[in-house]
Amino acid sequence: MDILKTENLKSYYILEMGETKKEVKAVNDVTINIHEDEIYGIAGESGCGKSTFLKTICKLVEPPLRMIGGTIYYQIDGKYVEITEIKEEDFRKLRWKYISYIPQGSMNALNPIIRIRESFKDFFTAHQKIENEERDFEEPLKKHLSALGLPVRVLKSYPHQLSGGMRQRTTIALATILKPRIIVADEPTTALDVVAQRAVIQLLKDIQKLQKNTIILVTHDMAVHANITDRIGIMYAGMFVEEARTDDIFENPLHPYTKFLIASLPKMGDKTYKPSVPGVPPSLSNLPPGCPFHPRCPYVMDICKKEIPQLVELNTEHKSACFLNSKERVE
Amino acid sequence: MNRKNDNPEKEIEKEGLIKAKKLQKVFVVGGGFARSRLLAVDDVSFQVNKNEIFTLAGESGCGKTTVSKILLGFLEPTQGEVYYRDKNILELQKWEEKKQFMKEVQSIFQNPFETFNPLRKVDSYLHDTAKNFGMNGKKRDKKAVEEALQSVGLGMEEVQGRYPSEFSGGQLQRISIARALITKPSLLVADEPVSMVDASLRMSIVNLFKELRDEYSVSVLYITHDLATAYYVSDRIGIMFRGNIVEMGDVEEVLMNPKHPYTQMLKESIPEADPKKKWTERVSITELETEEYMRKGCKFAGRCPFVEEKCKDFMPEEFFVDGRMVRCWLYEK
Repeated sequence: MDILKTENLKSYYILEMGETKKEVKAVNDVTINIHEDEIYGIAGESGCGKSTFLKTICKLVEPPLRMIGGTIYYQIDGKYVEITEIKEEDFRKLRWKYISYIPQGSMNALNPIIRIRESFKDFFTAHQKIENEERDFEEPLKKHLSALGLPVRVLKSYPHQLSGGMRQRTTIALATILKPRIIVADEPTTALDVVAQRAVIQLLKDIQKLQKNTIILVTHDMAVHANITDRIGIMYAGMFVEEARTDDIFENPLHPYTKFLIASLPKMGDKTYKPSVPGVPPSLSNLPPGCPFHPRCPYVMDICKKEIPQLVELNTEHKSACFLNSKERVE
Repeated sequence: MNRKNDNPEKEIEKEGLIKAKKLQKVFVVGGGFARSRLLAVDDVSFQVNKNEIFTLAGESGCGKTTVSKILLGFLEPTQGEVYYRDKNILELQKWEEKKQFMKEVQSIFQNPFETFNPLRKVDSYLHDTAKNFGMNGKKRDKKAVEEALQSVGLGMEEVQGRYPSEFSGGQLQRISIARALITKPSLLVADEPVSMVDASLRMSIVNLFKELRDEYSVSVLYITHDLATAYYVSDRIGIMFRGNIVEMGDVEEVLMNPKHPYTQMLKESIPEADPKKKWTERVSITELETEEYMRKGCKFAGRCPFVEEKCKDFMPEEFFVDGRMVRCWLYEK
């Protein structure tokens, strides 16, 4: 069953400078379904709207970002709930307990002048009542940390005493302590060393196994995707251009952009020439007509310049938005 | 492709272009009673040959950026020397000599969005460089700029009169490489040039280095934490850890058959972009960074699976095994 789904979701940054009005189409007509108990990865170039998509589905839309159209459903206790209709006060109850958002650079989110334990307590009391500190707070906290393999001594430290990797893992622990059904993580491993990166990925995997929830993971690092995700959605210029199981994306990419992306990945022990994607990404405020990838695509056809291809299922669980692959063209 | 086997003639050309000899840099942290010394770079010797891409790889805080700053003359080492074409760059007195050095050794920085002033048109950087390094006359300056842009796959019309915000990260990084190429340098020092660039455009930068080496005989000192691109692009590699080069040699040998326990661990921890090669083993990080810098023996001793008593007290010397340098007591014989 799907835990979260969107239909024709659109959210734009609207910038008004006097007379001129500029629309940045960061999320442009996105319809996707994310299942229960899976790790869903979103990949794409920077500035393709990955982070904006996450903000929109977490209902963190603030001007200049505006949700223009479409719907977002959460599945709460077997029923689909349209979240744009939920009042902000009620939505606050869902945050952290139902959906947790780990923003980019979250390792710097900890208050530098209080100990980690106090930070945990602050967050905890905002969402849960503490009657008996020992029973309601200390015990579940220590249990949670040791289940995730983090030393309990971090609670006594100040943020600056911990390394970046440790801080990042602490904030992830913080975001998951109330066992949310959905965890949304935006680039949790960037700016970390390889070893720390690996520890963070391991932690996310452990949490998912333990709590059987859904992780939506955004990163541009395809190696991280290969290691952790079950399914991947490829974003390009605000749209999802391909979606498939992780193995399929790497072995049998269908969209030309994904093909380039996979072919350009350097591998150890392989010195053969790796071409890069030709051209430059389009500006989201001035998208080309038709398929947004057509100016860079070597297989461009006339139809690509006029119509926008839809995301259609081609093989089982493998969707692609390209006229080259779609059945209409074959007919 | 392994250039060593393909091009035996090129072996003859291999002479050192820039040499670092026993570099050491000590930073003093804090003041008053909290004053302490941090050994950022210690006993680092290596050379970049003509016509080659040499990589210095390591995690953040291993001292690779400090080394590059010393080589460029931005920082003075506490001890040690840097020789460029057999001249000690720290003893260059005359402005003419310094200018010649700057002309031949150019640098590219990590974040292309920070390299350029957002309020200044990017082409002005190109023209200024051409003017400052005496290309003789406006016409020739213009030609030099055009040629440099062409070699990175851009045209003057794409760049003229535009501000940094109008370009993507990959394009800006190319422009910053073009700027460095105007003076026709023989060495480019590139400090994490692709870490801020997207995966799809990353290869265009790395491929550019290969082209520059093969077609324009430019050597590149490539500083990175990304072993996959390092393997792809470089001829030789040095792995740095907490201020030391722990292993150095041919990239094929060092990365495909690592000898130093740290290189082995580093290679293990790199995620591969292949869903069939998922990690199965678990890692744990326990040691604090500062403790590692303060160690008097081998700095990796706290995490090394093969640690012996000797490692904790004595810094390993440079041992030469199978055509590479390894700084580990395991290879003493």
